[in-house]
Amino acid sequence: MNFLYKILLIFLLNTTPLLADEASDWLKKKIDTILDAYKDTSISKVDRFNLIEDSINNNFAGTGISKFVAGKSWSSASKEVKKEYVKLFKKHLALNIASLMQGYSDQEYELVNAKYDEKNKVSMIDMKIHNDTGNLLVTWRVKKSKDRYFVIDLIVADISLVVTKRSEFNSMLKKVDQKLSELNDILRSQNESSYSIIIN
Amino acid sequence: MINIKSLLIIFFIVFANFSALSDDSDKVTTTSSDFETTYNEDEIFDPIEPINRVIFGFNNIADKIILEPAAKGYRKLPSPIQSGINNFLSNLRAPLVIVNQLLQGQGKNAAETTGRFVVNTTAGVLGLVDVADKIGLEEKEEDYGQTLAIWGVGDGFYVVLPIFGPSNLRDSAGLFLTYATDPFNAYAVSEDEGWIVPIRTTINALDRRSKIIDEVNALRNNSVDYYAAVRSSYYQNRKAAILNIDDSELTPLPLISVEFE
Repeated sequence: MNFLYKILLIFLLNTTPLLADEASDWLKKKIDTILDAYKDTSISKVDRFNLIEDSINNNFAGTGISKFVAGKSWSSASKEVKKEYVKLFKKHLALNIASLMQGYSDQEYELVNAKYDEKNKVSMIDMKIHNDTGNLLVTWRVKKSKDRYFVIDLIVADISLVVTKRSEFNSMLKKVDQKLSELNDILRSQNESSYSIIIN
Repeated sequence: MINIKSLLIIFFIVFANFSALSDDSDKVTTTSSDFETTYNEDEIFDPIEPINRVIFGFNNIADKIILEPAAKGYRKLPSPIQSGINNFLSNLRAPLVIVNQLLQGQGKNAAETTGRFVVNTTAGVLGLVDVADKIGLEEKEEDYGQTLAIWGVGDGFYVVLPIFGPSNLRDSAGLFLTYATDPFNAYAVSEDEGWIVPIRTTINALDRRSKIIDEVNALRNNSVDYYAAVRSSYYQNRKAAILNIDDSELTPLPLISVEFE
C-alpha cells in the first residue's frame, strides 16, 4: 500500500508541472495572437477586433462564465432569453478583454510561473507585464475539457474579471427585478457603446 | 496635530461600531441553489448606496477632467523620474509600514522593511533609488486598515469618500490614522510647512493613478454598472492585501464549468 502511495505521489509530482507547462504553452500562443493583432498596423480596427473576438470566443469559457455571472436570474429565464444573453455576454467579454489587452500591446510580457491545482483541475499561469516603471502581474486561470483548453478567469492585480462581472451584473439585475431579458437590453446598449470606443 | 488621547477615543468608538457591524457585512446571503457553480459570493454591505453613488459620480467626473489627464501627463515624464518619485514616496511610507507590520506580528517583515528604509535612505539617496530591492529586500505594504482587519475589526459598510474614492468604515479609520500618525506629515506640520501634506497626497495619487490608466479605462468603458464593478474590485483587492496572498492563491475563486463550450 505504502509502495503504491509512493508511486502515485511520484506520478503526480511528475505530471502536474507538465500539465501546467502544456497549458502555459497553449496560452502563450493565444496571447500572442491577440497582441500581434494590435501590433499589425496594416489591418483595420474593425478587422482587428473581429480577429480578437474570434480568438476570445474560441478560447474563453464564455458560456460557463455567462451562466455564472447571471447568478440566480439564469434559472428563471426562458431558453430564448438565455440564448440571447449568452450571445451578448460573449460579445461583452470580448470587448472587455480586447480593451484590457489593447493597453498591454506595446509592452513586453513573459509567463513567469505556472501552477496546476490538482484538486480543481485548474492551471494558474502568471503573466508579468513589464513597463519602464514597474511590473504588473496578471494571472490566467485555465481549465482543460475534452482535449481543449479554456480560459475561465483573468486576475489583474488581485481582481478577478469574472467575480467583478458577477458583482456588476448582480447589481444591475437587482434593479430590473432579476429579469434577464431586461438585462439583455442594457447589455446590448453597453456593447454598442464599448464597440464604438474600440473601433474609433 | 491630534493628541494621543483623542486618537484612542476615536479608535475605540470606531472599533466598537465595526464589531457590531461586522456580522452584517460578513453575512453570506446566497444559497447553493442560486448558482450552478461552486462559488458563493459574499454580499457587499452597502446601506448608503444612493449617497455613495452620488459621491462616486462626482469622483468619476473629477477623475476624468483632472486626475486622468494629469496622470497621462505624468506618465510622459522620463521613466527614471517616475521611478524616482515612486521610490521616494514609497520610502516615506516605510516607517508606518514598519509600525503596521509590528502591530500585525510580522517581525521578519518589519525587520526587512527597516532594512529597506535604512538602505534606501542612505545608499538610495533619500529613497530616490530602490537599492534595497536589488539586494533582495522586497517591498511589502501594510496599513492601518489591514492591521485593524487582522485584529478582527469587520469591514463596516462600504463608503465612497470624496476624492479618496472607494473604502469602508474600517479602512476609512485606517486612512485617518495614517494621516494622523505619519511622522513626516507631523514633522512638516510642526515646522509650519503643512502645505507639504496635500502636495505629497496629490503626487502620491498621481503616481498610483498613472499605473492603472489602461485598467481603469477598460473597466469604465465596458461596465454595465461601473459603480458596482469598482466596489467589487476594491473588496477583492483589499481582501488579498489583508490576507497577504498572491493573485493565483485567491480562494475561493469561481470554478467555471467548461462543459457547455
